[in-house]
Amino acid sequence: MEVSFSKEVRQLRLGAGETLHGEGILAITKALLQSGVAYVGGYQGAPVSHLLDVMVQAADYMAELGVHVEACSNEASAAAMLGASIHYPLRGAVTWKSVVGTNVAADALSNLASPGVMGGALIIVGEDYGEGASVIQERSHAFAMKSSLLLLDPRPQLPNMVRMVEQGFALSEACNTPAILQLRVRACHVRGSFECRDNLPPAVSRKALLAEPARFDYEKLAHPPATFRQEKLKTEQRLPAARRYIVEQGLNEIFAGRREDIGIIVQGGLHNTLVRALQQFDLADAFGAAEFPILALNVTYPLVPEQIADFCRGKRAVLVVEEGQPEYIEQEIATTLRRQDLNTAIHGKDLLQMAGEYTVEVVAAGLVNFIARHAADLPLTAAQDWLAANAARRQTVADQLAAPLPPRPPQFCTGCPERPVFSALKLAQANVGAVHVAADIGCHSFATFEPFGFGHTILGYGMSLASRAGVSPMLGRRALAVMGDGGFWHNGLLTGVESALFNKTDAVLLIMKNGYTAATGTQEIISTPDEEQKAGAPDKRLSLVDRNQTIERTLTGLGVTWLRTVPSYEVDAMRRTLEEAFTTEAGGLKVIVAAGECQLERQRRVKPWLAGLLKAGKRVVKIRYGVDADVCSGDHSCIRLSGCPTLTLKDSDDPLKVDPVATVIEGCVGCGLCGENAHAATLCPSFYRVELVQNPGLAERALAAIRRGFIGMWQPA
Amino acid sequence: MNAQQPITILIAALGGEGGGVLAEWLVDIATRAGHPAQATSIPGVAQRTGATTYYVEIHPQTRVELGGRTPVLSLAPVPGCVDLMVASELLEAVRAVQNGYVSPERTTLLTSSQRTLTTFEKLAPGDGRFDSARLLQVAGSNSKRLATFDVAATAREAGTVPSAVLCGAIAGSGVLPFARAAFEEVISASGRGVEASLRGFALGFERSGAALGGAPAPTPAAPADLIVLGHARVVEFQDAAYGELYRQRVGRLRAAEQLADPQGRHGAALAREGARFLALWMAFDDVIRVADLKSRASRFARVRAEAGAAAGDLLRIADHFKPGVTELAGLLPPATGQRLLAWEGRRRRAGKAPLGIALKLRADSISGFLALRLLAGLRPLRRRGQRYAAEQALIERWLAAVEQAAARDWQAGFELALCARLVKGYGATNERAKDNLHHIVEHLAHKDAADIGRARSAALADEAGSGLDQALLQAGAPPRAVKPVPVRWFKAGAR
Repeated sequence: MEVSFSKEVRQLRLGAGETLHGEGILAITKALLQSGVAYVGGYQGAPVSHLLDVMVQAADYMAELGVHVEACSNEASAAAMLGASIHYPLRGAVTWKSVVGTNVAADALSNLASPGVMGGALIIVGEDYGEGASVIQERSHAFAMKSSLLLLDPRPQLPNMVRMVEQGFALSEACNTPAILQLRVRACHVRGSFECRDNLPPAVSRKALLAEPARFDYEKLAHPPATFRQEKLKTEQRLPAARRYIVEQGLNEIFAGRREDIGIIVQGGLHNTLVRALQQFDLADAFGAAEFPILALNVTYPLVPEQIADFCRGKRAVLVVEEGQPEYIEQEIATTLRRQDLNTAIHGKDLLQMAGEYTVEVVAAGLVNFIARHAADLPLTAAQDWLAANAARRQTVADQLAAPLPPRPPQFCTGCPERPVFSALKLAQANVGAVHVAADIGCHSFATFEPFGFGHTILGYGMSLASRAGVSPMLGRRALAVMGDGGFWHNGLLTGVESALFNKTDAVLLIMKNGYTAATGTQEIISTPDEEQKAGAPDKRLSLVDRNQTIERTLTGLGVTWLRTVPSYEVDAMRRTLEEAFTTEAGGLKVIVAAGECQLERQRRVKPWLAGLLKAGKRVVKIRYGVDADVCSGDHSCIRLSGCPTLTLKDSDDPLKVDPVATVIEGCVGCGLCGENAHAATLCPSFYRVELVQNPGLAERALAAIRRGFIGMWQPA
Repeated sequence: MNAQQPITILIAALGGEGGGVLAEWLVDIATRAGHPAQATSIPGVAQRTGATTYYVEIHPQTRVELGGRTPVLSLAPVPGCVDLMVASELLEAVRAVQNGYVSPERTTLLTSSQRTLTTFEKLAPGDGRFDSARLLQVAGSNSKRLATFDVAATAREAGTVPSAVLCGAIAGSGVLPFARAAFEEVISASGRGVEASLRGFALGFERSGAALGGAPAPTPAAPADLIVLGHARVVEFQDAAYGELYRQRVGRLRAAEQLADPQGRHGAALAREGARFLALWMAFDDVIRVADLKSRASRFARVRAEAGAAAGDLLRIADHFKPGVTELAGLLPPATGQRLLAWEGRRRRAGKAPLGIALKLRADSISGFLALRLLAGLRPLRRRGQRYAAEQALIERWLAAVEQAAARDWQAGFELALCARLVKGYGATNERAKDNLHHIVEHLAHKDAADIGRARSAALADEAGSGLDQALLQAGAPPRAVKPVPVRWFKAGAR
């Protein structure tokens, strides 16, 4: 794994009275243990990866508590894991990135929600919406509504987030309904502190086993005719029970205001943003005491009609601050008020922007409209001037810059084994023509950025091969599907490979075998080289993915006959293999495995290894590449074929040359791509490879001395 | 500052620079001093070298002063409401300015003066870098106070990461109500690489302080005499006679300029810039030249320095060469060379791979070194070679075109002279570049200066040359002929 969480793992052990300092997602993890969770599962993905990562690294402590932790193969298997809480008094929690993960989990979620649960079931989703998001922009809210799941959206302050986890389990049990707790990106990474309680070892656990399986109970099966009754139970018993608990325990918070004729209803997660927006009008102080009463919904589904009505009663107008579209909450509130025949004016998306993240600026702009309409007595100038100043400043800067600033998207790491594969693909297409490239989710999707620009579609994680099933038959050329080993195991194996084989499709699949789900933080998978291999490797620089053949064996077992494995860094070999795959007379599915271990993982081994050798005064060879500035003519074709962060430009020392020349900066890990490209693409001869030998042996020192002596005699200045 | 208003710090960093650690330090410093503090970030795929931001809010009152009340801190920075903007890279600082976060009334801007180029900027065959001077000017004119120094270099100097240097810069700016000792205490408590971090902190502290005091403007270097340099380059490349040819050609440029601009209103720019690119072109990079450059003592020393080799360390240098038919033909007499090239051309059109031998030549080994010197020793043959003849012919063609254009209009002659900048690269890149120049000379020499200038900029902006073709069409010239690419496809039913 990319990061070590030893410090976080220690904090999980904190007891009553002690204070935890850390990120929101760690607080949530601690709260699970304080709630007596018995089993935890999930699938990694920002912003919630760390929950599972920390739990996995805390394996020893989890064993002490008897908690079972499982790194699931995808979100569907994580959701299905919650089935344990249907029959047994077990509190379970699973986590994933939403909305994409929730999509994958949807089938299991429906079949979990219908029979309902006995033990509390909590689904912690990272609501990847707005700045920093890496997936399609949709709301998880719809899933809660369609499956009658509870949805918590806690006010992003650590003590409250912890309380909502503990209450989430209780609420889930009070109404036999699984609960989703959604956290926005910044809430997951908010760094604060809260006072801990003791962890609660689960009553039933790996240490305290159940003696007998539960008795057969058809009513707990998501199977007709039970499903018809369950559908009614949801609305007749479970949701009403949930509403009672929400009110009794005061899960939603009402902050009093200085005036009562106007109010604001806000998703808990947006409370801080709302307060900061009100401060721009001087309508709230530093502690959140505001001009208007605020109803902060820590539970956004189900709403409690009575609570909503009580809040709105006697108010001329209420503004609903709800992020994303469509405005589910606002619509439900409007319905509630009509049914209760309350004539409070309801505003929301008519005054606030419909789609996209609700920043302080966006909310303030909506408040200007709302206040102007319903509280004309309040001063607007402060906020209006501030908004105008922001716009003016941006315009001024744009004018001063004259040109748009170049973007800086993420890219392949220095020495990434996937970059050379796309260099080869670029060269192959130059030789045999363009191909349709079905892209996928994972680090390799960075190939959609410069300098490559590959990828016609992205249909989801592991979906690339499936997503070209309709293209191949219609195209006079073969289509290429790119997939990572992460995507392959997540579901590409079945949705893609099995389907292509069964339908005898003529297509090319390129699997990036780097040994981990690298993009989410290099979590381990079934095809990860094992620890003994890593410990035993004499040269820690070497890629070890070839030591684990699970992918190759699986493909052969399924009946793939055209299967080639090419080391990622062999650009010319990869180019030839791609060209062969595109042009061979062999029909059917052709699979190329690009084998090269994730460079981040390799460097985690290499750095301490080299440091240790040097410390011990042992012989160390360091490899890096360089460019001869006086040979480089500054045409940058090497960069257009690589894009490596350490292959960049510098001003030429030669006063005659006006264009910058290529240079290899500090950080080069000597992966060899520069040299491979120079050969494969017949680039310029300015690249050289340097081997720096530290603590050299006697023999090689002598040989070097002879060479130096000889060369020195004949060498021009 | 309003006693209730939080102190806000926005940090723009790139993946792997320790921005997260920095934010953590700031929160720890505030917490130890008894102030409520909060940090958030948008790491996204920061570790994959993308741009990322960290945001810290510190309440100005201590918990004691607050007496149990908890301030509501914002998770996201608010445009115009940032007290301290910190950036480890100049473009990212200006990106934050562009996004409206930095305010000339409120924000102190601490940014590294150093650029980490975006891929986008590195791709152009010419110079696609964003103008740093303009970035600095925008940063300065849109912030309350600006401090810039090279954070990356400072970090290297101290043997630490940028976060430690930036922490020092923050302390040095005096925006936060904490003493220097408070910062150092937290860094010391952080455990790993403490000495290096403190060294970096100290340098950052001192340099941001100095920079806020107003850093001295760099003095521009005196412009070199390009014609003298050019002559030296050409003589070194071949011999005195070749240098003489260079002088004659520069003479023709001068004469042409004399006629076009007798009063010298343009300060002899045509002759100067023409002479620059003429020298680079006449000293074209063939195997002889490259072998010579690669086997010099100065080169060995430079490589050693770049590798950071210490006294006792050994160095092995492997040069990547791939000599092909073009390089061989270049050394043969024109007639023979042409036949060889024609043959290779047929092979390529038939879809065969170009012939070439991939070599990793150990320049530091006796055999490798001798091979390089042997090639370098072929210099006398160069004049009789096909490449030499071809280059001279195209140079003459360009020179004549410049003369004609200048006679018509100085600006046109000048723009055409600058077009020699296109000639660079090796192998296919070099061929393409010369084709582009040839096409411009053939079809634009008689057009307006503006047309020629547009075509040149387009050719230097993208390699594919779609921009160039547009510029050509715009000027009423024919686009370049499409190069045939052999497309070999087999698919059941496709043929």
